[in-house]
Amino acid sequence: MSTTAIEPAPPPTRPRKRRSALRWHNTLRGWSFIAPNFIGFAALTLVPIIILFYVSLTEWGALGDPKWIGEENFTKLFTRDMRFRTALWNTLYYTIVHMPLTLVASLGLAVLLNRKMRGAAFFRTAAFFPYITSIVAIAMVWNLMFSPDYGPINQILRFFGVDNPPGWTVSSTWAMPAVIVVGTWREMGYYMLLFLAGLQTIPRELYEAATVDGAGAWSRFWHVTVPCLRPTTFFVTVMLTIGSMKVFDLVFVMTEGGPGRSTLVISQLIWQQAFAEGDFGYASAISVVLFAICLVLTLIQFWVNRRAER
Amino acid sequence: MKKTTLGMLTALATAGALTLAACGGGGGDESTTPAGGQTTSGAQASVDPGAEPVTLTLAGWSLETTPEFQVLADAFMAANSNVTIELKEYDANDYGTLMLADMAAGNAPDIITIKEAKALGQWVDGGQLLDVTDVVSALPANVSGAGSYTIDGVNYAAPYRQDSWVLFYNADLFSQAGVAVPDGSWTWDDYATAAKALTANLGGKKGAYEHSWQSTLQGFAQAQTPGADLGGGQDYSYLKPYYERVLDLQTSGAQETYGNITTNKLTYQGQFGKQEAAMMAMGSWYVATLITQQASGEADSFTWGMAPIPQYDSSTTGTDKVPVTFGDPTGLGINAGIDSSKVAAAKAFIAFAASDAAGEALAKIGILSSVSSDAVTAAYFAQAGIPTDELSKFAISTHDTRPENPQSPNIAAIQTALGEAHTAIMSGSSAIDDAIALATSTIQSEIG
Amino acid sequence: MTAATRRPRRARRLRERIGKGVLYACLIAAAAFLLVPFFWMLSSSLKQNNQVFTIPIRWIPETFKWSNYVDIWTKSGMSDWLKNTMILSVVVTLLQVFTGSFAAYGFSRIRFPGRDVLFLGYIATIAVPWQAYMIPQYKMMASLGLVDTLWSIILLQAFGAFGVFLMKQFYETIPEDLSESARLDGLSEYGIYRRIMLPLSVPAIASLSLLMFVTTWNDFLGPRLYLRTPSNFTIQVGLKVFQADPQGSSMYGLMFTGSVLSVLPIAIIFMAGQRYFVEGIATTGMKG
Repeated sequence: MSTTAIEPAPPPTRPRKRRSALRWHNTLRGWSFIAPNFIGFAALTLVPIIILFYVSLTEWGALGDPKWIGEENFTKLFTRDMRFRTALWNTLYYTIVHMPLTLVASLGLAVLLNRKMRGAAFFRTAAFFPYITSIVAIAMVWNLMFSPDYGPINQILRFFGVDNPPGWTVSSTWAMPAVIVVGTWREMGYYMLLFLAGLQTIPRELYEAATVDGAGAWSRFWHVTVPCLRPTTFFVTVMLTIGSMKVFDLVFVMTEGGPGRSTLVISQLIWQQAFAEGDFGYASAISVVLFAICLVLTLIQFWVNRRAER
Repeated sequence: MKKTTLGMLTALATAGALTLAACGGGGGDESTTPAGGQTTSGAQASVDPGAEPVTLTLAGWSLETTPEFQVLADAFMAANSNVTIELKEYDANDYGTLMLADMAAGNAPDIITIKEAKALGQWVDGGQLLDVTDVVSALPANVSGAGSYTIDGVNYAAPYRQDSWVLFYNADLFSQAGVAVPDGSWTWDDYATAAKALTANLGGKKGAYEHSWQSTLQGFAQAQTPGADLGGGQDYSYLKPYYERVLDLQTSGAQETYGNITTNKLTYQGQFGKQEAAMMAMGSWYVATLITQQASGEADSFTWGMAPIPQYDSSTTGTDKVPVTFGDPTGLGINAGIDSSKVAAAKAFIAFAASDAAGEALAKIGILSSVSSDAVTAAYFAQAGIPTDELSKFAISTHDTRPENPQSPNIAAIQTALGEAHTAIMSGSSAIDDAIALATSTIQSEIG
Repeated sequence: MTAATRRPRRARRLRERIGKGVLYACLIAAAAFLLVPFFWMLSSSLKQNNQVFTIPIRWIPETFKWSNYVDIWTKSGMSDWLKNTMILSVVVTLLQVFTGSFAAYGFSRIRFPGRDVLFLGYIATIAVPWQAYMIPQYKMMASLGLVDTLWSIILLQAFGAFGVFLMKQFYETIPEDLSESARLDGLSEYGIYRRIMLPLSVPAIASLSLLMFVTTWNDFLGPRLYLRTPSNFTIQVGLKVFQADPQGSSMYGLMFTGSVLSVLPIAIIFMAGQRYFVEGIATTGMKG
């Protein structure tokens, strides 16, 4: 029993008899499970999102009736709007660096803290603390650490002989790396928690068997932990990607998109367009593009995950 | 199977369409019929006392620390016994967003406070505000700021409050440094010279503090430079001399750098109130805050005063001239969806808020009314803790205040682009010319 | 046992001890690094308003303003806010865990047409920024008369895709054989969900509950838009009362006092709740 348990979950298979009746039965049963969540989800999230898709083809200032303008918003978005291009690039930059960094850091933390040791509970809580600390306090302290003249980070850099340390949050080149570091620092405890839960599903017998076969700690990690964590890793990867593509509040409190537009991200652009400039149609069009990009990324992740499943 | 999915989608689409229709109905219908025949009844400053009882709702924010709404409401209710004004509280920082949501849902109060002139265009486009031209054109000539609420010749709100930017200075620090206090004759170059002299003689404290906002710099350049056209979208090179001066002050150490202000989230109340800097350009709203904080011990006690803001050149300096500064008014508009039986009372209220009586009531709590008169100035300077020298009185009462956000269809987009230029230049990550060029091309693609 | 075998063992023990010492030193340094902003928050909660943001930063207040911790209870609606936040967090967490784990079972264990597309749609909606559709959603809620009630936030938060996705991924680690044999024993799908899946997914439920609780507790944008009367505020919305607009003066000291107070319940729940997701309940459960 316990040896079959280790296999990554096989896709549910069912006896191939009385197919159509079974299919009808299954559809009904499947929906009966999904319905309680789906009804709330459809009414409160799906309907507004469908409206958003419609609004993206209109000119709408949130007041009065939307005016149909077809694909005009999208034309402007892809041909004229330099700010959108910058925001898209910045968002991708953030995602591409922040995603793997956070994945590795949170998995590392989870493996490190998934043991019986004195104080483990305290360290796990400490790792989670950045996520619950007020974001204003986080922005304050990190901005201070990055402060070009007085900040400890640059003092250390100068100590090691770097004559011209970066200006971090007040430099258009270094602001994004600074934001990424803080983003990773803040979120790793959150994803660590998910990995910790995932680690509990790996049967101890597997590690014991691997040890008997002479596998070292590193080899056990690669051949037992990583494959068995695949469902969790998949979840974390998808959520992290979408979360990074939507990043907003952290960037806003740290740099407000500046200096210039060097840390302007898509979500902030959407906010600006909608609430500062009153152009909800255009903001919706940007949201649709963001949605499409995330959908493609998620599909790729699903596909990779399926292949690994086999 | 196909049927189920299809059925589901149809159901959803219908639900969506219904909601849209319902939503459209809420805002749209009411706004297209802006209480037509009511316009004749406006403009009078009080309502017939024998009239039917009316209850008006009024939008305000941070009511506990912003008493002006209650003061206006109380003063009006005292004169009009049939009218009850109820305050509806909003969050000060998210006022625009929350108000927009309420307007969209048809929940906005009867009287809408215009906190930021920038938002007015969007509200008017959405048909949310009643035409109050009759009220505004009947206002006395000593009321300023109504132009900020005029779109295509139609007035949509009456200003009740008008702040403007003045120069605050710490007289103790000036005398400690042996520098003469401002006398009303300063241009910005005089200001820079004084800032450097102060810094050299104060041992660690800064001569000037300039807060990191875009308006702290661009507001003056826009208001004072001859020919500067914010809404035109063509030429923003008028910003350059102002940036050069400030960057020079930063490099010479005469004012805190932009990087240190933003990375340490410095507050102007802390910098001036705790005597970290000897002078500071700031809006007149800070007068009330500084008085309160000195009384409570949050700010140090020191002698301070106000001077006219430094000028572009000497043609407007000196107390025999009118100094040019900037500031947006705060005004009151009327919800286009208001019940027609309330329109007369609402118009009477917004007219009252821009009257001498309201101005004096506001001045007593440290709010500068849009009405300028000797009585209002006298009431304002009767506050305990306010400096009463002649120059302070001159700075508060005499100025040509240009709007920070003149009405223009693209004002919000223009300010966003210039805001990006501001952070790029101030942080030193972009040369002045490059940042202005980028902002100009962004604005032109937005307008075009 | 000979001396020859004993010596390497002692050496190994010494090496282990040194390793442990290094590990702890690293962990303590890391913990300090993670807790610095919290420490600053704690210190700011004891400062006067004008002394919170200064150059250079002050880690220890000049004068300790202990009265902040009294004032926040007497001069603000903190107790109301705490109560509302608690109600919301508990109700939203319960609803999300229940409906989410239930739906996840349908998505992971029952094959029916359109399932995968529907699931993908669920996840993809997470990618749409809320700011972009908050106005249409607000209009719907307003037409139902739910603005300025706690119901609006409950409805907003309770049916997200997050819980469904998390639980589905977790169910996939539970071997299908278990449910298959239960089916042979005559258990219905609902029975399998309740008797087998739920007990086996305690770590996932624990982490989902905790994350949902924290998310609801710290949620700002939704409650900011929907809750308008001060007595209906949550903590995060309430704390913004202390932050004035640029023209006013903010009460930063009280704001951080409130922030510290709002972190404490979560820290306690986290400390106490972690045994449910780190102590290998699933592994022991699966042995049966």
